[in-house]
Amino acid sequence: MLVLGIETSCDETAAALVADGKTILSSAISTQLDLLKKYGGVVPEIAARRHTELIGYVIKEALDTAGMTLDDVEAVAVTSRPGLVGCLMVGVAAAKTISYVKNLPLIGVHHIEGHIFANLLSHPALPFPHVCLTVSGGHNMLLYVPEPCKYEVLGATLDDAAGEAFDKVAKFLGLDFPGGPVIDKLSRQGNPKAFKFPRPMIGTKSFDFSFSGLKTAVVNMFKDPLARGETLPLADIAASFQEAVVDVLVAKTMRAAAEKDVAAISVTGGVSANSRLRQVFAAASKNRGIEVFFPELSLCTDNAAMIAAAGYARMMLGERSDLRLNVFPNAPLGLP
Amino acid sequence: MIVLGIDTSAYVNAVGIVDGSRVLADDTYPARTDSLEQIVANIDTTLKKTGLPLVRIDGIGVGLGPGSWTGIRVGVTVGKMLVFGFKKPVCGVPTLEALAFPARDEAPLICSVIAVGVGDAVYAGLYSPEGDGVKRIGDYYIGEIKGLSALITKPVVVVGAEAERYARLLRPAPGMTLKAVEALPSGAAVAALAGVRLARGDSDDALSLAPLYLKDSTARVFVNRYKKEQG
Repeated sequence: MLVLGIETSCDETAAALVADGKTILSSAISTQLDLLKKYGGVVPEIAARRHTELIGYVIKEALDTAGMTLDDVEAVAVTSRPGLVGCLMVGVAAAKTISYVKNLPLIGVHHIEGHIFANLLSHPALPFPHVCLTVSGGHNMLLYVPEPCKYEVLGATLDDAAGEAFDKVAKFLGLDFPGGPVIDKLSRQGNPKAFKFPRPMIGTKSFDFSFSGLKTAVVNMFKDPLARGETLPLADIAASFQEAVVDVLVAKTMRAAAEKDVAAISVTGGVSANSRLRQVFAAASKNRGIEVFFPELSLCTDNAAMIAAAGYARMMLGERSDLRLNVFPNAPLGLP
Repeated sequence: MIVLGIDTSAYVNAVGIVDGSRVLADDTYPARTDSLEQIVANIDTTLKKTGLPLVRIDGIGVGLGPGSWTGIRVGVTVGKMLVFGFKKPVCGVPTLEALAFPARDEAPLICSVIAVGVGDAVYAGLYSPEGDGVKRIGDYYIGEIKGLSALITKPVVVVGAEAERYARLLRPAPGMTLKAVEALPSGAAVAALAGVRLARGDSDDALSLAPLYLKDSTARVFVNRYKKEQG
């Protein structure tokens, strides 16, 4: 089954063609990075306007790259929740219209389920059950996944997502947006032990996260020197902050894997592209009989191939959306 | 030529079908915050009512706004994907023009108004009847309704939602007659205006079709102001 995936939940306008939930024939992504840099983040109204301008071109690009037309498409999957309402609406309006005109089955996809499927696209042999850590600028969850499309939420962030903390610390330090890749790169020249930042909730029994306090600790330590115009040791701050985030993510995930007695960990979402996170996971899982899976870099950040893959899996379970498909800014994971 | 017209700018889903100058359907579906949820089903209902399958439609007209920003994004996206899907031409129609069109015989000057949503501010356009349609005079207006008074130099009809209230706030020159017609955007008017252009062989590029916001987002306004201040 050839599925057209559409994703517009935040700042990426994306469309992709995926065959049988496995083979990516094309994955077109138009990022709004220019706008993000200009405004220091996502402005919902501006992002929604840009999606409207781009959606047709991006879908056409996905079809052209695959050498296909809409006549070849057999189903449409679209991110319908959660996300920025005005942005989600553009993708859903496009998807349901295509579904109507071409008389194709339609499925609304949960964005985070999309991220979870990104890793199944990269590693079709990823074993079940496994523990999944999914982290981006907008979400931060630890899940137990007994079988495809079944989730037990072990924990989630109580305040900021890890990616959001990266963005906010980068902004405070005067670095570019988005903060994740910038801090990752800068950290390679820094000493991760230069500053001792808190590892929030690292020792608690719960699998919840909290990164707001860590961000505040960075701000509190350096706001006065910054105000005095002092030159800050940016690489050391970045490396030390990143190390704190990574330590918490890895410790909680490894503990969840032990508690659930699984042999596999899946790490997904934008933050899974972080090179230090990948290193520390590799070191922590070594000799413990646990294999850690990361998506290829192009599937870490928002894309529509993962939406097509998740939509395909849901359709194989017999789920469908009708033409009244709507968008939801917040939605629990796992429900159709 | 059979043309389907849609407009989702005004918290209603307007869907109309015309065949030349004959109106086959002109439906207005309530859609307070659910224009996205309903619009495709609304189009299907109107088509089924007229007994026309989608393949019989020769072209599409899309109301571009101004109006609800979310609403016009939904309408424009649905419009562009309709024509992308079944390869028929599309024409974007400014909603102010679609409002003026049915009132073209009411007065020599037609003033269509759409609420901005702040005080008595409106998006407005002044039109004069011309041939089968209407022609816009000057630029679009955005501001307090009373600021339009000086531009009313002929007997005028004010058209739009709350037209009567807006008409009372206008202060045209003495002796000018002033009428008001309460109206919401009509799918049939959008279709008819698109049909006029399509009959001439004129259409818009579907992929680049964009809403007519007439107003920057607040963030952009602030950034532009900041840039100006910084020189």
